[in-house]
Amino acid sequence: MKSFTEADAVLAGEGPFAIVERAELEQQFDQLLTANGAALGRLAASYTNTASDRDDLLQEIAMAVWQALRTFRAECSARTFLFRIAHNRAIAYLSRNRAQFACEEMDVHDPAPDPESGLAQQQRAERLRRAIHRLPVVYRQVITLALEDMGYAEIAEVLGISESNVGVRLSRARQLLRESLENFK
Amino acid sequence: MSQDTELDAWRREWQSQTTILADLRRQVERQSRWLKIGIAADILVTVAIGGGVIALAARWPQPDFVVLAVATWMFIAVAWAFGLAINRGNWSPAAMDTAAFVDLSIRRCRARLASAWFGACLGACEIVFNLAWVYRHSAEHRQPLLAWLLFGSLPMDLVWLFTLAFFGFLFWYRRKKHAELAWLLDLSGEAAGQSRVRRGWRLRRAKKMRKA
Repeated sequence: MKSFTEADAVLAGEGPFAIVERAELEQQFDQLLTANGAALGRLAASYTNTASDRDDLLQEIAMAVWQALRTFRAECSARTFLFRIAHNRAIAYLSRNRAQFACEEMDVHDPAPDPESGLAQQQRAERLRRAIHRLPVVYRQVITLALEDMGYAEIAEVLGISESNVGVRLSRARQLLRESLENFK
Repeated sequence: MSQDTELDAWRREWQSQTTILADLRRQVERQSRWLKIGIAADILVTVAIGGGVIALAARWPQPDFVVLAVATWMFIAVAWAFGLAINRGNWSPAAMDTAAFVDLSIRRCRARLASAWFGACLGACEIVFNLAWVYRHSAEHRQPLLAWLLFGSLPMDLVWLFTLAFFGFLFWYRRKKHAELAWLLDLSGEAAGQSRVRRGWRLRRAKKMRKA
């Protein structure tokens, strides 16, 4: 497979400096996605109903990250940068597909490596994912970031709200999530 | 169960979900090529249509063709000017966070709605101009205008079919964007509502403290 560097440089007719810069970007892009791929997959699954929708959203996120990477000036951590883009793309995706997501029930299944031993764990995780999927978007955003081990400051930076607002939203999100999980029992 | 233990338990369950990522890099590479091709296609269409009418006017320098070339370039210029004006300030969010992105999405959605109106008006003007031009140009075998418009020929039927499809699409697009805008405004209001709740809570707490 041709790399970004070659393909894009050929299309754009770029010189050697641009090629080197793109190679660095390509490396950075791979590192970001490798380190945060699982978290991005969970985030995408919390916004979508089916595995193919999740993959579509993941692809949109990856595309947006690739486009935004050249403007990344390390003013925040790479993870904050990545999650900002991921949440923004997820909102854009939801706004385009509201009707679909309003009426469908989720059906995302990923094959577990060992179905028997991991069944109970998998069921609990699936129940949690479904409960999170039912939360209003503002609470879904804050709880998914908290579940990825982010602190208040980092969540505030991703969402563009104050830390105290994060606290309020998280508290409400937890309350709603608890109620939703009770209903699943 | 204490709250922190509860959150930790949810974290473990949440993070136990692993997704096998598809070959994103290949897909992104393909998508970025299509983006470039899309931009090139937009420019190509402008140049092809604009260049085409200029070539016609140069080949047959009659007033009819000069009028067609001038009018076509006016339509192109108006469309580009509107596109640039309506998208001014809508290229990137004011800040790199989700709240700013929602604001930007709302502005873009409003711009798309305005564009749909503009597209309908410009489309109507273009259709009227083009029909008038063709009617005038086919002076040798001219029928009465109404008969020519309604029962003229297969190309005229196609023109009406295309016009219907174009305005039908604009109607559907506006409805879709209206719904999208309503959702985004709801989302933005929901987020702002949280801030108002928080501000109200702070005010009430401050009053209580003053009384105490």
